[in-house]
Amino acid sequence: MRRSRPPRPLRPAAIVAIAAACLALSAAAAAAQTAGGVPCPRDLEVLVERGFAARTGLAAGDSVRVGPTPRTACVARVAGTFVPPPDPATLTRERPRFLFHLPDLAELADRPDAVDRFTLKLRPDADPDSVASLLAPVMPGAQVMSATELADRSSATFNVIRRFHVAIAWITLTASGVFLACLMILRVQQRRLPVAALRLTGISRRTLFLWLLLETTAVSLLGGVAGLGIGALASDAINAFYQRRYDTALLFSLIGPDSLLLALGLAVVLGLGAGCVAAGLLLRADPLAEAGR
Amino acid sequence: MIVRCALRELTRHPLRTLLAVAGVAVAGAMLVDMLMLSNGLQTSFRELLESAGYEVRVSPAGTLPLDTEATIRDADALIERLREESGVAGVAPVLAANLSMHGELERSVFALGVDPDAQGVFRMLSGRPPGPGEVVLGPEGAGGDTLSLAAFGTLGAVAGTTPRALRVTGRARFLYVSESEVPVALELGTLQAITGRRDRVSFVMVAATPGTDPDALAARLAERFPEVRIVSIGELVEQAEQRLSYFRQLAFILGSVSLIVAALLIGTIAAVSISDRYGTIAAARAIGISRRSILLTLLLESLAQSAAAVAVGLTLGLVTARQLERILSDFPGLPEAVRFFVPDARILGIAAAGILGIAALAALIPAYRVTRMPIATTLHREEP
Repeated sequence: MRRSRPPRPLRPAAIVAIAAACLALSAAAAAAQTAGGVPCPRDLEVLVERGFAARTGLAAGDSVRVGPTPRTACVARVAGTFVPPPDPATLTRERPRFLFHLPDLAELADRPDAVDRFTLKLRPDADPDSVASLLAPVMPGAQVMSATELADRSSATFNVIRRFHVAIAWITLTASGVFLACLMILRVQQRRLPVAALRLTGISRRTLFLWLLLETTAVSLLGGVAGLGIGALASDAINAFYQRRYDTALLFSLIGPDSLLLALGLAVVLGLGAGCVAAGLLLRADPLAEAGR
Repeated sequence: MIVRCALRELTRHPLRTLLAVAGVAVAGAMLVDMLMLSNGLQTSFRELLESAGYEVRVSPAGTLPLDTEATIRDADALIERLREESGVAGVAPVLAANLSMHGELERSVFALGVDPDAQGVFRMLSGRPPGPGEVVLGPEGAGGDTLSLAAFGTLGAVAGTTPRALRVTGRARFLYVSESEVPVALELGTLQAITGRRDRVSFVMVAATPGTDPDALAARLAERFPEVRIVSIGELVEQAEQRLSYFRQLAFILGSVSLIVAALLIGTIAAVSISDRYGTIAAARAIGISRRSILLTLLLESLAQSAAAVAVGLTLGLVTARQLERILSDFPGLPEAVRFFVPDARILGIAAAGILGIAALAALIPAYRVTRMPIATTLHREEP
């Protein structure tokens, strides 16, 4: 690495972010003004993604070689590091990102007077969809879309994953529902002898039914609350693991009020249902036979 | 006798048995699905790549095929040099580009420029491969004898703005195209002319001669051609797996949870069922029935229940896998032929063995305990 003059901040408006996909990069210093016979941009500067800079030990003032191929690489000065905005779509991206001045990158990539996309800032009273439909016919060979449409298109992956999670959640709910029902029935059936004895002492079926129901509901509710606690801990662990892994502030697991209510409600409803069935079956039986007489 | 005893005990509590079977079946279904998910992508992606008949891929430095819009410059020279390498049986260059289709229906199409005599990106369904000025459509492509295509991103009077009419020569099934894309295939030179990318390709597919190890060939070529990235199918599968590692992690977590749920359920049922029969078991031991026979009966009970659950669970797992596959088939950018859930006998066997093993283990603990209880004390305390 070669330290040079202090970093000069880049103006964000003059910068275009393009993944360094086609740019071979090495951290060796070089002072050539041409690369493979192709002239290099003057005072070439680059901003390096923070995570990559930390991994490779790059810092402001260092020199790197960038270019379409190692043979045609130019020397660029690292002007600083940047943190890309949290974006789930780029989480698994392996290639580091670099920010260049637009003309510099166009020259490096040998794509003069070319851009991949424009972003237009509209006046406050302008409707983005109307502007997009007005611009489309006058820009043949280009796609024009509003930010909302673009967001819809880019979130297609996450919509699929959300639907997949919902389907998995229903399978899990079914499994836990059956498990809960099974436990409740076992619990009530274990009360066979005391219930038979209580019935023989004259306590009404209704009172016993309510007692069993209350017990199963309380157990379900307690289990539900404990489950939520475990879920909250698991959620924290998931967020901590993935946030560290991907160096991002994104939340990967979020327990919202709707999932909280669904989990608790389901636990209570399933407990009630299972309690009703088990208590009904138990109270229908002959208490003398149940007591073994 | 042991089997009969075990089955009789299960039928004595039909509701309990039914619920236990249902619970374990759902857990088993989840386990099957997760095992398929953990393996499916790798299997189907490898099959897809191998089906092309080219074992090595060459792409722009730092990228993988079709990963970015970057292209390889001086492609003709590179292809010639590759052809001269030992161990190389064939070279198939491919240029990929999004084009705008004009006519009755204006839309974006995904165009692949290929050498009609050497390509591994589509299989002809009807007609013939495209020559210069010709185009092949996908199975669902719009009808007609000609197709007007132009390059995107060429505003004003730049070459390629004027749509070029191409003659349709046939229909093909495209291997690496996702369901949401409209694919077309052109002769390489034609697509290079439309996009203004002369002497450029997106990637090159290399076939190894019989007996040549593709990994070794890729490694050797990578050393000889440092200006591009050269990978074998094995490395490509590894890369794809890394990118979609989320599904493997999810499969591991949910598969483990399924096994834990099954173990808890079977263990609870076995414990309650055995504790109901302390007296009976003590009496059986008192009249001379061996500990081993009792242990076997209790294990068989649990295994019989779990075997029924496994049968239901495997069927349920295959049905739910199909539904889950339908959801994930909308995953953007993945080739249509890639499957997340690939059923295979080994996976079904592992799932069945897992559930049955867990059932045996979960029942073993309470069963072992009951056979170690003192007979006299138990008979005093419990009523047979």
